[in-house]
Amino acid sequence: MSAELSVAPARHRPDWLLPALTLGPAVAGIIIAAIITPTFLNPDNILSILRNASLIGIVAVAMTPLTLSGNFVSLGISQSAMAAMVAFVALLGEGWNQLATILVVLFGLVAIGMLQGVVVAAGMNPVITTLAAGAIIFGVVSEATEGRIVSVRDYPATWGGGDVIGIPIVILVFVVFTALLTLMMSRTVTGRETILVGANRATAEISGISLARVTIVAFAIFSIGLAIAGILEGAAFGEATAKSFPNLTINAIAALLVGGTAIGGGQGSPLRSAAGALLISVISNMMVLNDFSPGGRLAIQGAVVAAAVVLLDLFRRRGVRR
Amino acid sequence: MIKAFLSWSRPYALPLAALVVTWIVISILTPTFRGEASVYSVLEGFSLVGLVALGLAVTLIAGEFDLSVGSMAALAAVITVLTSSTGLIGCIAIATACGVVFGALQGIVIGRLGISSLVFTIGTLIMLRGLTYIFSGHEPIIIENFEITDPLLERYAIFSVSSIIALFVFITGWLFLTYTRWGREIYAIGGARNEAIAAGVPRVRTLTISFAMSSGCASLAGALAATRGGSAAPQNYDDLLLTGAAACLLGGISLYGGRGTVLNVAFGVAILSVVVAGLAARGTSASLVQLVTGALLLTVIGIEFLAGRLAPRKAGGRAQRGRSRRMAGAGG
Repeated sequence: MSAELSVAPARHRPDWLLPALTLGPAVAGIIIAAIITPTFLNPDNILSILRNASLIGIVAVAMTPLTLSGNFVSLGISQSAMAAMVAFVALLGEGWNQLATILVVLFGLVAIGMLQGVVVAAGMNPVITTLAAGAIIFGVVSEATEGRIVSVRDYPATWGGGDVIGIPIVILVFVVFTALLTLMMSRTVTGRETILVGANRATAEISGISLARVTIVAFAIFSIGLAIAGILEGAAFGEATAKSFPNLTINAIAALLVGGTAIGGGQGSPLRSAAGALLISVISNMMVLNDFSPGGRLAIQGAVVAAAVVLLDLFRRRGVRR
Repeated sequence: MIKAFLSWSRPYALPLAALVVTWIVISILTPTFRGEASVYSVLEGFSLVGLVALGLAVTLIAGEFDLSVGSMAALAAVITVLTSSTGLIGCIAIATACGVVFGALQGIVIGRLGISSLVFTIGTLIMLRGLTYIFSGHEPIIIENFEITDPLLERYAIFSVSSIIALFVFITGWLFLTYTRWGREIYAIGGARNEAIAAGVPRVRTLTISFAMSSGCASLAGALAATRGGSAAPQNYDDLLLTGAAACLLGGISLYGGRGTVLNVAFGVAILSVVVAGLAARGTSASLVQLVTGALLLTVIGIEFLAGRLAPRKAGGRAQRGRSRRMAGAGG
């Protein structure tokens, strides 16, 4: 109760401080990386960081409304994106029309997401629900593909790795998607309602906002992001397995948390998650270039997430006390 | 006397019925799952999934959630193999002690800062997995002096050494949670946190004990599994979290804190072991087992939620929401 009451004074803090906390380390990280790693500023390397950040970013940005509405994070991210990728590739391989395939994958994922949204809206723990849903999705796809690699066969689908006027498609999609969602969260009624539900659930409910609708819409937006990520990867590689996207869950959650979106909801924005994705990609790229082992990279990433959670919480609390 | 027994046994009626029904169905469907062998295989489930579920249950009762148990078990398995030169008891003790210390630290951080354990343990879940890869050198490792593990392979009727250890831990855990002050404080902190703190229950100590127990149990589970198999692989046990949570909830541990006992966990583990043993005997793939576990988990949380809604005087939907929100650390 006390925490709910003390949210309001936190507003006195200047608005630019929290974003600065995210962008500051990102810029500092890039400078340090550039100094200690000679190949870092190589145009090819920059492009590969941006591509990687875009894929993580699309998912992290899409998950932001979910977190903002007070529903924590999903633990079934990899599995859902993988399902989208496998479905996209498999349907093209069956000789489907590309546009029809994209629509089917999009609607399919949104339906699965909204189903989870309904379950969570009924009052169930979102983390456990998405964990269980992820296990079910993985099981179904593994059974359906029998563990084999699915491919588009002779269908010419490699546009996912292509570019428009010199800019890779995945980066364009990332920028547009982030812009759209940022506008939506700050300028539309649905967006404002989502933030209010996360900031103060009781007040939101008294104000007549439907918690169920906000949760289901957040899950739907999240699923659109997952579908886009799956389709882009599918269109880039032309083949997929049930083990695609092994680290997406970890990376997207890390990006969102490092971006500074409050895990309890109410504070944060898609733009910050996008910055978080950039920071995470820079960190992992730097570690790859400096020959860190996969285990070392994982350990550092986990430490960064834990530290981000603790630091942001401490910072927020200091803001409240003042 | 009979009345007292009836009111005591009421929370166990549903899990017991579920266990009996699944046992009968599975033993009819699977000819190999009968008699002594079936009891043995179910009890074996206690030494891996059971211990993990027991630890997870303590954090759930405290109104928190330790997502790092799977990674902790994997790390403990690797530590056990690396320290196997200290002998069987030595390496298991070292691995378990590492888990207890790590869990206690994790509990202190979560308790002091009042941050969401759900989120903080996502960080440690990733970090511990990374450490597991580093310590094992990114590949499966085996115990060189494998004869030290011989005592673990003995079988006494329906028991093995590891299932006896697991059952001992279950009984100790039950005594601790039911009859000690510190154990009751875990229930108080999980059931009604603000009231408990107002009444003088120390939050930090209680959460430290809870998380030390969950990491400790997970480590013991990993250590026993590593010594039983004589090896450890860094990618192991990433589905233990799902299985452990499913066992807790199947047995009747509440997701909203403060409710459920060690006996509930035992029922949950037994039900899950029966189902998994039945599926395995039919040659089902690991991914299908995961599918079934996930489906069971969703069904159970659905039933728990509906039961909460239908019982008008008990904790209803609204109170539950308030509690689950507290897991975000909003009520610190």
